[in-house]
Amino acid sequence: MAKKLDVQEDITPNLIPMIDIMFLLLLFFMLGADMGQRELEEVRLPLARSVKEDKESKERTSDRLTINIYHVYEKETPCPAYKKGEICREEKHWRIAIKGVDYTNSEELLKRLQLEAQDYRADPNNPKSPCERPVQVRADRQAPYSEVQKAIAMCARAMIYKIECGAARPPDEANAKG
Amino acid sequence: MAGTQNIGETSDNPVAINVVAMVDVIFCLCIFFMCSFHFKQLEGKIESHLPKDRGLDSTPASSIVKDEIRVIMRWDPGSNATLRKVKGHEYAGSDEELIAAICGMRDNYEQEGKTDWPLTIDAEGDVPWEEVIHVMDLCKQNRIERIEFGAPEREIERQAPPA
Repeated sequence: MAKKLDVQEDITPNLIPMIDIMFLLLLFFMLGADMGQRELEEVRLPLARSVKEDKESKERTSDRLTINIYHVYEKETPCPAYKKGEICREEKHWRIAIKGVDYTNSEELLKRLQLEAQDYRADPNNPKSPCERPVQVRADRQAPYSEVQKAIAMCARAMIYKIECGAARPPDEANAKG
Repeated sequence: MAGTQNIGETSDNPVAINVVAMVDVIFCLCIFFMCSFHFKQLEGKIESHLPKDRGLDSTPASSIVKDEIRVIMRWDPGSNATLRKVKGHEYAGSDEELIAAICGMRDNYEQEGKTDWPLTIDAEGDVPWEEVIHVMDLCKQNRIERIEFGAPEREIERQAPPA
């Protein structure tokens, strides 16, 4: 009959490799976290095959101004049409924002754009000279064109003529190009 | 005896530190950053320029007959779809028809030696933005670089003539 071993081993797991891995994970998530100023609102960008890679968005010193046109968040105002992926034509559900500040009012948007354009005019003393500063209109794909038109019209009145339209590459192509 | 011991054995570190609390904290931090992490969508841009020389100053814009390709977009609530056509053509039933009409006009301009013409997108307010972007995308894919947005002319504030 086999003898029952009654040896009690003191098992102490070595925690050091686990701590190392957790530190690495922590570093990865900390560096990947977006702690910057909220310049970009959450929008579902329209898809386009011909989009150019946006290198300026990675540069902190970029002069470009971004106008976000986004639907109010679900928590604030539930919208069944938007949730289903349909076009929401409720004007009150759409917001225009620059750097996290709401400029849905056209006159306020115009004032802000004029202020932003001031230092980039061909002739700084002439408020009617064209502004060389690029502006990106980053609108939700489900937004009606009238909302985008409003922003573009205000850009034109502020003499800003370099307009870029934000779009995303379709997922299959984005993956193929890495 | 040196050389026979494993790394991390208690004899290496005579002062034992309780790392459990630190592990807990790191776990919490990891969970926080994992929950708040989101992968950035690959974004890009489509460039377009607004006209610099129309309706901007106090002088009325001259009524120039422009060489342009005007794409008209209208929302049809009945069919729940966007109707698209090139000005002077029939409504296009598909992307291919639309782009054929655009390329036909472009080829005509190129044959005439005209290079300075824009493609103007004239869309109604009801049209979804993604449809507008789709047309811009089709144009860019077909080497049409100069895209403009059409808008109603602003009424120009005329100054009263001096007395």
